Amino acid sequence: MGLLFGCRKLPLDELAGDLPSLKRFEDEVRLAMSQARKSLDLVKVPVPKALKIPGASIQNRFGMAIDLDLCDGCGKCILACNLENNVPLVPNADAERGRFMHWVEMRGNAPFMCAHCGDAPCEKVCPTGAANHTPDGLSAMMYKRCAGSRFCGANCPVQARKFNFNDAQKLGLARQFNKEVPLRDKGVMEKCSLCLHRLQNDRLDFKTRNPLSEWRGRGVKTACAEACSKNAIVFGNWLDEKSPLVRLTKNRVLYAPRELAALDPSIVFMRGRR
Amino acid sequence: MFRYLMLAGLLLFLPGLGALGYSVYEGPSAWLTDARTFWGTPISLFVFWIGLAHAGTLLSAIFLALDIKLDRRTALIAELSTLVSLVFAGIFPLMHLGVIENFYMVAPFLDARGNLANARSPLVWDFCCIAVYALLSLLFFAVHLKTREIPALEKYRKPMAWLLFPLVLWVHTIVSLDFATTFVPQWRGAFFPVYFIVGAIFSGLAMVNLLACADGYRVRLLERLQLICSWLLCAIWIWDFLFKGYFCTSAFIFAGVLPQFRMVAAVRESRVGRIFLSLSVLIGLFLERYYLVSPMAGTPGEPGFGWIDLGLVAFSVGGFMMLFYAARSRLNDSMEGEGTYFGEVDGSDMANVEESEQFREKTHGLAFSYIQPWSSDEYKTLRYPLLAGFVAALLFVLWICLKLPFFRTPYENVEVTLVNVLPLVYPVIAFVAAVALVCKALWIDKSIEVGRRFYVSLTAGLALLAALAGAFYAGGASETPAGSFASAPLNVYNPADSAHMELVWKARCAQCHGVDGRFNEKFVREFYPVPQKLDASRIDSLGADSLVKVVLEGRVNMNAYRGRLTESEARGLVMYMRSLAGAPDEPDSAGEAP
Repeated sequence: MGLLFGCRKLPLDELAGDLPSLKRFEDEVRLAMSQARKSLDLVKVPVPKALKIPGASIQNRFGMAIDLDLCDGCGKCILACNLENNVPLVPNADAERGRFMHWVEMRGNAPFMCAHCGDAPCEKVCPTGAANHTPDGLSAMMYKRCAGSRFCGANCPVQARKFNFNDAQKLGLARQFNKEVPLRDKGVMEKCSLCLHRLQNDRLDFKTRNPLSEWRGRGVKTACAEACSKNAIVFGNWLDEKSPLVRLTKNRVLYAPRELAALDPSIVFMRGRR
Repeated sequence: MFRYLMLAGLLLFLPGLGALGYSVYEGPSAWLTDARTFWGTPISLFVFWIGLAHAGTLLSAIFLALDIKLDRRTALIAELSTLVSLVFAGIFPLMHLGVIENFYMVAPFLDARGNLANARSPLVWDFCCIAVYALLSLLFFAVHLKTREIPALEKYRKPMAWLLFPLVLWVHTIVSLDFATTFVPQWRGAFFPVYFIVGAIFSGLAMVNLLACADGYRVRLLERLQLICSWLLCAIWIWDFLFKGYFCTSAFIFAGVLPQFRMVAAVRESRVGRIFLSLSVLIGLFLERYYLVSPMAGTPGEPGFGWIDLGLVAFSVGGFMMLFYAARSRLNDSMEGEGTYFGEVDGSDMANVEESEQFREKTHGLAFSYIQPWSSDEYKTLRYPLLAGFVAALLFVLWICLKLPFFRTPYENVEVTLVNVLPLVYPVIAFVAAVALVCKALWIDKSIEVGRRFYVSLTAGLALLAALAGAFYAGGASETPAGSFASAPLNVYNPADSAHMELVWKARCAQCHGVDGRFNEKFVREFYPVPQKLDASRIDSLGADSLVKVVLEGRVNMNAYRGRLTESEARGLVMYMRSLAGAPDEPDSAGEAP
């Protein structure tokens, strides 16, 4: 249940029925991890540079690096992401087929999510322009503009996009843990947003305090990076020398899934020292 | 006979309608979707019906353009089957959407928010091409139908056939690009357009042959062509198999092996045998499309074909039979006397033409029987409409691709290149040329007398179109959230001080209007239309009250801030705006209660 407010849905908690318990979310993550694909075919990629799309920022390109030497595949990032982004549960029939809504999944015993490719194939085929690229390098979704043609999902080589087959709110499978992220309606695509709302909040805050200086997104962390006890997920700005991402990926070898290597991914894996 | 076919169609259609209703209600989870593609049966059916939709006009138009004689009845049946197939080819992509009410966002049409469809997407190309194709096919069919009453129209049929000839091939190429431009390994390949066109012609020939069987006659030329198409398709399948190692065995048996039985005289001479041959091709090609769209269906761990999928198939097959034979009997009544449908099949016409050609060759020599393309009648009819089409296409490409400073387009910040709009070029040419051709026939040549009824329906059609366009335009307008945000008591009088107002201005307004009150050029040019200039004279001429109203209620592209700002804050913002613009303070309005 919720009311339409601009492009966000505001929940009316008192009208919503019995909300799913946190335990159900934890159980689902465990189930998803037990079904995870075991292999991940990685190839070496260069360090991401500024985007080449028109209107792209030369200051910011946000991304992440996942340290495979530190990651032990505990799956805390999945739950953190689900709670941060209000990712709904799926009915049992879907769970049996491994069709979860999780934005972060386990593949090859490491977290795997949308790579926010600089040359994203999903955005090219979206008929309505709901899948688009922000100047800061996020592959974003406009949920209200999505007509649900699922073309983007068909064109993602790593199947990072999830389709809302069910009306999770009506089925009592959705719960808004985080008021800043809208619940998605049935029939739209969704995927990792790189915690867009955290970046936007930081940007507005920064612009209010220092209207004349350039915002570089320093100090922001995604939910998965925050949840990682081993600090294996590093969030930052590929174009900012002071960003932890640039500092920690220096002297490391970067990898990406083979299917994505040519698409200029912003989220990469790192392993070993150079 | 037709009545029974219609009844059979109705029997299939009604349960199918139930399945359609259920899938619309339930959404894409109703039918089988495989984990890899999310698409499933509706898209298989779309490809199947759009293939059938291409063959009718293709046969009729290409045969006409190339001077291959096809009798009027067969040609009209083919064209009518095209139109009816297009209805179902149109329904399936629409009903397969996750959010059906957003379908109009696929049309390349600007809305009030400045949103535009993504011209890089094959789905947008599809939408435009199929819409143009449907319109032109309808026109072609109507002109053909009316030639009995108005012989002057005959002159326009061949030019239209020349317009349609490339369009059919073009549209099916675009449909194949829906698949071939993706990253799915089974769908990749430059041969896809050829493969789809061959498949479309093949299935369309089978359909026309089947419809001819139902009419109780046969066209040997089309049967032979059907056999040849099966060879072509088999060649492509075998090549694809050797290349990728995927194969759909059932499709090969139905559409590759069984059609070869036409070579057995006993099969091809019996009507049941011919029906069996055509049906087998149609079944095979449906299975092939089904396999193409959901390659993983039926494999272990993936569900198979369900009741809803069957229902959707029944819906389209039954609906086709019902609609086709309803239109067929109705047109038959208004067209001709009892017994004959769409004119009789006779060869006398052809014999005459052949004789006269031979006579001309004998008397004048070969040179006179050949007409130069540039002096042919159809070229003379078509040249100015075609020129208009080319000019329109050129303007269209320039509008989208050129980023001229004085020629602002919504595509400015989108990575659109010539390659992205090339798929739309021919449909634009064909559409404009067809419209110009109609205008020419109606008002320049004055070859056709049209009554008042025509003008009334034309006006009504245009008015409907305008209304739809207006609705789609407004579909992107911002919603006013007034009343939905009531967590705290608002509108409490709270005199605004300028330091607070500065913070509010920077947080709420500066994104577009700029920190200094001139607009934030960088942000605004990227995301929104340019906001109004806030200079002192303008602020004064509008007055504080109306500006407060604009801030709270929104205006054109300005969002409504009621619920996010109190009225006193809005008033404070207006005062802050005045101070930014350098206007002298108005002592009487400062600190005034709302």
